[in-house]
Amino acid sequence: MFLPVFVFAIIFFYMPMLGVRYAFTNYNGIKDPTFVGLENFQKMFSMPGFWSAFKNTLQISVTGLITKTGFAVIVSIFLNEIVNIHFKKAVQTIIYLPHFLSWVVTASLFSLLLAPTGQGLVNSFLVNLGIVDSGSMIYFLGSSKWWRGTYYIINLWKETGWQTVIFMATLAGMNTELYEAASIDGAGRWGKMRYITFPALANTILTVFILNLAKVMNLFESAFVLQNDAVLDVANVLETYIYYQTFNSGAIPNYGYTTAVGLFKSLVGCVLVLTCNQWSKKVREGRGIV
Amino acid sequence: MKKKLVSLLLTAAMVASLVGCGGSSDSGSSADTTETETTTETADTTEAADTTEAADTAETAEAEVEKPEEITIMVDGTVFTKENAQDEFIAKLEELLGMKINVIQPDHDAYYDVVGQTIASGDWPDVMILASTYYAGYASEGVLWDMTDVYESSELKQRQDAFGSTGVIDGVRIDGRLYGMPATRGNGCVTYVKQRWLDNCGLTAPTNYEEYLAMLDAFSKGDPDGDGVDGNTYGVSAAGFIGSEAPYINYLPEFYQDATSGFVKTDDGSWIDGFTQDSMKAALQRLADAYAAGYIDPTTLTNGTKDCRDKFYSDEFGVFTYWAGTWATNLKTNLEANGLDGELVALPPLAEVGAYLDRVPPVWAITSTCENPEGVFKYFIEAMQDGGEVQFLWTYGVEGIHWSTAAETLFEGTDKEKVYAEGEFHGCENLETEGTQYTKAHIDPALALVDLADDPAKTSRADENKASAELFNANSVTADLAPSTDEMTQYNGDLTTLKNQLIANVVMGEMTVDDAYAKFEADGGADWSQKIVDSLNAQ
Repeated sequence: MFLPVFVFAIIFFYMPMLGVRYAFTNYNGIKDPTFVGLENFQKMFSMPGFWSAFKNTLQISVTGLITKTGFAVIVSIFLNEIVNIHFKKAVQTIIYLPHFLSWVVTASLFSLLLAPTGQGLVNSFLVNLGIVDSGSMIYFLGSSKWWRGTYYIINLWKETGWQTVIFMATLAGMNTELYEAASIDGAGRWGKMRYITFPALANTILTVFILNLAKVMNLFESAFVLQNDAVLDVANVLETYIYYQTFNSGAIPNYGYTTAVGLFKSLVGCVLVLTCNQWSKKVREGRGIV
Repeated sequence: MKKKLVSLLLTAAMVASLVGCGGSSDSGSSADTTETETTTETADTTEAADTTEAADTAETAEAEVEKPEEITIMVDGTVFTKENAQDEFIAKLEELLGMKINVIQPDHDAYYDVVGQTIASGDWPDVMILASTYYAGYASEGVLWDMTDVYESSELKQRQDAFGSTGVIDGVRIDGRLYGMPATRGNGCVTYVKQRWLDNCGLTAPTNYEEYLAMLDAFSKGDPDGDGVDGNTYGVSAAGFIGSEAPYINYLPEFYQDATSGFVKTDDGSWIDGFTQDSMKAALQRLADAYAAGYIDPTTLTNGTKDCRDKFYSDEFGVFTYWAGTWATNLKTNLEANGLDGELVALPPLAEVGAYLDRVPPVWAITSTCENPEGVFKYFIEAMQDGGEVQFLWTYGVEGIHWSTAAETLFEGTDKEKVYAEGEFHGCENLETEGTQYTKAHIDPALALVDLADDPAKTSRADENKASAELFNANSVTADLAPSTDEMTQYNGDLTTLKNQLIANVVMGEMTVDDAYAKFEADGGADWSQKIVDSLNAQ
């Protein structure tokens, strides 16, 4: 059964990779590509916008990964503690739902909720509590100071529920006798969580973390729909940088340059995957992720 | 052995299916060809049988240009979609033109992605619609056929000149050459003010910037909507502080005045970057001051155009710069649908603004791989603006589907109910959006470049539509069409992103104008800008 998979992989995975050659050319999709060597990479490394996007990509992705994984673990443990099965199912369903909303809908929803006007629910609430003045409402999505925090919270709201699925599956497979034994030994709820539940989850947490760490360079949709001109210094990531290079140039773009940025992004991603693989082998007794 | 055999068979099946997929287009082509032949025969028969006016007007000289039997056009959503009876529209067009027309219509929002992919594939359509940015780029790369000579000797030129459209055509020339033909003026925005708000504040329409600011002050701090609460409204709103497409500044013209963020031609014919000029610095300061004073909707940064319209309809702000013509009626009817007074004042440009900007219109371009470009120009492009039957079809669509003169009642039993008498021209109910009517097909009658004989819009067009269009036409100048250069390709992506970022930060008070220009210099913006300007001036 190897051959069909091999042919499939060659045609759909490896042949498209031939496109990386455009990174070494100037190519506008009309005339034949002109070989320019490493010129596109030289330009890329000299652009402040590129470095800003690269830094933002790493910061946003890694912070998002840590917060999402951490939050999902906490929520999973709490869910596991719920005794009433109907209530547990209801909570699970409610927290899974945001995952199925598109990012465009999510962005529209939060733009309304966080609007710096009387119509913005959050600002109205803060004004009523006397935390902010009605004349100086907070522009959560329009201020560099607030954007990152807001972005992380929106991500947590949308993805935490879905992330708990894998942790809940691990918890569901645990031997309940461990808890019973712990009870006999006089362990309370906190003790059981600390000495049984959390250690049982540790391997899954690490696996999820490592698998997701390899994908940190792939960040577009969520950043794109929530960013705007005023916050680009903290919100522009490599994939949105490529998008703006393509559609903001006011001319036919140089696909050679955008391919170079894409290739750089892939190389960093590749390095991360290999690093994570080594890391995984060390902590998971020789089991890698690739 | 058995396993090997099975895997071999599976591989063969996969390869066969891939080949099959590839071959399906050929099959499709065959089917299309058959269909084409049949349709062409029918059309030819119809054409031969009919001694229509269109056929009569064919001159001897024109006979030398061979009529294409079949063409492929690539269009955006400004041409009727399938949901809006495109098939019937094209069938009627084929009947009138006597040629088979294949339509490629990608999703409107992804149109230019698909155009780019199509161009890169090398399999180009005969004709395609292109917005100004792409038009200049593709023309400079040799994708588009140079129609200048054919146009200069055409009847279309005579018709357009006679209708006063020469300036619009000149606006799409690149170094004097013409690579595409607009079907309409580009159109632009005029500033609408709610009359009720003016009345409630005891104001008249402003004529200069000082009066404009006084009006915004009253709208932002007073009670223009009459709900008994002061200061719960805004003066003006827009979809962003700067537009995403040329001419960029047209949603807030009163603040930008003579400034622009793009590349413009000076009186001596040389190119400059408007962002680097003192006029832009002054404009940014005006915007920052107005924003700080609370005159501008605080969510302008993140607003889309639909957000603005919705807020305007729900009386959240009173001054809205939006498209002239048809939109004047749309704004009015939507305000009225919300139970508000729909009367709007279309402001003549303030003294400091001078003129509104007429954007460079999209064009119909013939690709350089088209086998019979003269024929396509003569029998498709030129016919679109024949002043008669074909132009009528492009303007209003198909009788009985898009428009009608039959006696009928639309939206019966609703508050939108409309009763039309026999012979009264009106748009039919939109097939896709219930409760609305068709107002035009591809060509907006208010923006036509050629006089349309027996145009029902001359008598049936809404007053506010006509007034705003006339105001705009009398008070607008055509925006410059910047040609594409290698330097623009290399640097304008970063440059535009940086400019937009600085504009937003200055307006919102995150940095001063001086700080913004210092950052512009430090981040390389000034250098990129100069390189592009040099390349434009070197052309």
